[in-house]
Amino acid sequence: MKRKLIAAIGVAGMMVSIAACGSDSDKGKDGGKASAGGDKTLTVWVMDGSAPDAWMAEVNKAFEAKHPGVKVKVEKQIWNGIQEKVTTALSEDTPPDVLELGNTQTAGYAVTGGLADLTGDKATLGYDAWNKGMVASNELDGKLYSAPWYAANRVVVYDKAAYKKAGVTPPKTRAEWIEGLKKLKASDPKSQAIYLPGQSWYVLAGLIWDEGSDLAVKDGDKWKGNLSSPEAAAAMNFYKELASYSTAPKDKDEATPQQSTDVVPKGGVASWIGLGWEAGGAIDAMKKAGKTADFGYFPIPGKTADKPGSVFLGGSNLAIAERSQNKELAKEWLALAAGKDFMTKYAAATEGALLPNTDAAQFKPAAGSFAEAMALSSASGKVTPVTPGWANVETAPNPIKDYMTKVLKGEDAKAAGEAADKVINERINQQ
Amino acid sequence: MTVDSQGTATADPQDAPGRAAGKSQTPPPSSGPKEVLQPPRGRRSLPSGLLPYLLVAPALLSMAALLLYPLIRNVILSFQQLNRKEFITRETVWTGFDNYTELLGDSHFWTVVVRSVVFTAVNVALIMAIGTGIGLLLNRLGKKMRLVLSLSLMFAWAMPIVASVTVFRWLFDEQFGVANWVMRTLGFSGYEQHNWFETGFSTLVIILLLLVWGSVPFVALNMYAGLTTVGTELYEAAKMDGASGWRTFWAVVFPNLKSFFMITTFLEIIWIFKAFAQVYAMNQGGPDRGSETLPVYAYIEGVGQFHYGVAAAISILTIVMLIAVMSFYFRLILKQEEEL
Repeated sequence: MKRKLIAAIGVAGMMVSIAACGSDSDKGKDGGKASAGGDKTLTVWVMDGSAPDAWMAEVNKAFEAKHPGVKVKVEKQIWNGIQEKVTTALSEDTPPDVLELGNTQTAGYAVTGGLADLTGDKATLGYDAWNKGMVASNELDGKLYSAPWYAANRVVVYDKAAYKKAGVTPPKTRAEWIEGLKKLKASDPKSQAIYLPGQSWYVLAGLIWDEGSDLAVKDGDKWKGNLSSPEAAAAMNFYKELASYSTAPKDKDEATPQQSTDVVPKGGVASWIGLGWEAGGAIDAMKKAGKTADFGYFPIPGKTADKPGSVFLGGSNLAIAERSQNKELAKEWLALAAGKDFMTKYAAATEGALLPNTDAAQFKPAAGSFAEAMALSSASGKVTPVTPGWANVETAPNPIKDYMTKVLKGEDAKAAGEAADKVINERINQQ
Repeated sequence: MTVDSQGTATADPQDAPGRAAGKSQTPPPSSGPKEVLQPPRGRRSLPSGLLPYLLVAPALLSMAALLLYPLIRNVILSFQQLNRKEFITRETVWTGFDNYTELLGDSHFWTVVVRSVVFTAVNVALIMAIGTGIGLLLNRLGKKMRLVLSLSLMFAWAMPIVASVTVFRWLFDEQFGVANWVMRTLGFSGYEQHNWFETGFSTLVIILLLLVWGSVPFVALNMYAGLTTVGTELYEAAKMDGASGWRTFWAVVFPNLKSFFMITTFLEIIWIFKAFAQVYAMNQGGPDRGSETLPVYAYIEGVGQFHYGVAAAISILTIVMLIAVMSFYFRLILKQEEEL
């Protein structure tokens, strides 16, 4: 009966294999950089939708002309799961030399020591000309860890035909906004007056800022979550009111399903809240499906007509990995790409849909364009709490998203907020 | 599983199925002095020297490299604090048993443990019951229907995990799912846009359906294979005695296939307890961490939250729990081994 013993050993082996799927951190993967013969490769990680291909090619051509024997390799990354990827990359011996980092996440990487200190390069990078609102997320404890690249914020994208049919014009205040949504619903009960999934937390952040409050507040030298505050509850209530005009899932964010390419092109959506690249993506997807998009854009309305609603000023910074094998080259590339000349071209290439890091490079947006609406509200742009621990808050499962879903499903905003704050407190003070 | 018993060249007149007869291993008294030369029965004596070791070496080496090494690393990791910072700076911070004490004092951890255990128990019970039923059915079916049924079982078994999860996600989709449509068509109200993934419980029920569906073929086909070794005369005898179907199962089939039931049950326990892809891909352990089982919890703590030390401790505790459960199995086996 040896076979039983063999089977038993097999069973034991299978059990152990659990450990294998636990957590094996695969460090020191060979990136295959720096090939022989003095030729060097500079690896640049950019996010999908950040850099127009033609612009990127031009930057690299100019750079390679200046540095014979150096090749620039651009690798496009997607936002989903990017924190895991960047963390792993920064721990390697041959990380990408230049990385695009989300502005809410930069401090989280700076504190780990994974990013090169750029404080000494302020002059070459053009620090003084940078947009002041965009600089904050690049600094930590007085040191500079990255260069701002671009910023963008969300606006309301609407279907002109649907608005016209319902007799609605772009609103200036929240009250007008809701009024319009009511009319849209009445004019076409089958379609959604606004598509707003339950976990679009950047939108909620704007509403909380409108209340004069924030997602987390500093208490002494510690941070604590602020979702149990009455201001957060008020903001969430307004979100809930907006969401009542949408049949979007309450437990999903705007990226699952991707609202711009998977939802809007299918039709039946009179308006939605999105970024420039999302609007572009929707237009392309509709073109492919044989439809024509007829979009108008307006800033998210504020409480009063004199000031548009607060928006999250999303954006990206460009950083250099501390372990980069080609730090000096990387700095030069950074100075070139994020410098005024190429930023001017960048703003033009994106037609103003992304704000460049300096006002001098600003592109004058066309009338009625996404960029125009965005520029109007960027004055009320804000960023998430600037502390290294904030990146931890955003990791999945994101407590803010869970909070939103709970409240939308009818749970008490204060109770749900307290549960979320507990998680935020745990994470935000961690480095 | 190998079916032949290993080794001995002596002709064993009665090998299967009733082992009772073979209990006395004395060879039958030779009726005549060496009348027939016994032909070697297929097998020669075992090769000696280095060869056997060489033959098992690749398997052992790959086990050591792919299982043992990660396991040891995992144990080491579980005594460290390895968060994002330590990960990037490559600092080694020893924290002793901190990860373990923190976990064992965390109510969330215990919630997940209880959830995993209950989830596994329900799953395995269903899989064994349904799998056995279908196995019995396979044995009784005619040739054609048996082929059709085995084929469909094979397809379910062969379906890649993530693909099947995707299919199940769509079946239960809030807006376009067929499940909502069926409920509406059957006349139930409230299924216009019912969100099947609204609570951790209902998410787990859907995962349960998927796991049962995916695991039943293994049990059913094995059961069928096992049943073919049960002699028909036993059924006939039972029938003569007027035993009911239920009685026949417990008196004839079950005792004959006891070791089959045992090994399959334990295999299923292991598979379900450590099922990761199905649980994670279905809803990423959500909503609000409500459908996390132990492996998913370890993954989210580790890869999602960058607490690799804590994650390692979770997976070690998971292994310890499985070993505790499995020790029953090992004891049973060793006991049987002694009896023989």
